[in-house]
Amino acid sequence: MELQQNLEKIRKRGLGVAAISYDSVGVLSTFAQRKGISYPLLSDEDSKVIRAYALLNESVPPGSPQFGIPYPGTFILDALGTVVSKYFESDFRQRYTASDILVRQYGERPGSTSQTVETKHLKLVSSASQTNVRWGQRIALTVDIDLKGGMHVYAPGVDGYIPIDWKIKSAPAFTPHEVTYPASQQLYLKPIHETVPVYKGRFRLVQEITLGTDEEIKPMLSKDGSLAIEGALRYQACDDRVCYLMQTVPLKWALHYDELDRQRVPPRMQRKAPSPDGDTK
Amino acid sequence: MRSIVIGILVVTAVCGQSARDPGPAVGSRVPDFTAVDQDGRPRSLHSLMGPRGLMLVFFRSTDW
Repeated sequence: MELQQNLEKIRKRGLGVAAISYDSVGVLSTFAQRKGISYPLLSDEDSKVIRAYALLNESVPPGSPQFGIPYPGTFILDALGTVVSKYFESDFRQRYTASDILVRQYGERPGSTSQTVETKHLKLVSSASQTNVRWGQRIALTVDIDLKGGMHVYAPGVDGYIPIDWKIKSAPAFTPHEVTYPASQQLYLKPIHETVPVYKGRFRLVQEITLGTDEEIKPMLSKDGSLAIEGALRYQACDDRVCYLMQTVPLKWALHYDELDRQRVPPRMQRKAPSPDGDTK
Repeated sequence: MRSIVIGILVVTAVCGQSARDPGPAVGSRVPDFTAVDQDGRPRSLHSLMGPRGLMLVFFRSTDW
């Protein structure tokens, strides 16, 4: 499980980790052993906690075995139990990964580096929050930029100059979200008495993507099961003497696609539909 | 016919709202609970906390 792989990083931030579902203790124990899960998996068989948190998915009919599932998502709580942030997608087949949350909220180093590029003006490293992905996951792609001495590039919103711009080539296998640009610095250009928003030194751009369904992803995979994502970074760099020509750097990410784990517990342990008299046992 | 259309709009609006942001809001205190873990041990919200808080994940199931 993706959460298990991030356990150390999450705990280093001082956070405990727990995951809760309507599975029985037996089902959770089987899963924990099979997958080597060491954090608490909590059993909420009658969905009491799910209801107390107002997360019961009411689109599931009460007679179905799936009745009692929550809207899936993640809360970050402080030590007093106050919600610091929450990550719930509006489409319930989609979910944020812990890797994405770590990059997004905590500026954590992404789990997988895709490429390193050096131009006359900068060095950049493109990465992804994780190497392996599943359908419906929301993950983060990042570009870490290190401008060479004396260089600046223009930030979005600049007037009269070409701002830095990162685009992902759209594909049916995923949906890109808005790029997150960091706060810019104001640079005073003495000769023309203008103040412009720029970036200098090191900064990071983050762009999340949400992976599509299995059917949408499968046709896009290469023979070795990897999903290629292409994009481009456009910028115009200047130093205190001269503005250089606009550059476009092609970017590429390769993510390994994991099939959904379809292994189930033995039928006697599987969840049953509640009987009509309301007895779930 | 008209009432059906309005009914659909109302349902869409209500679902849409919970769909965007279900559960306790940012800044609010979550309900306390005790639930049993995979080893059969009862765990309270408090016992799950790290020094700075908790990442609490609600998921569908490990078996589906």
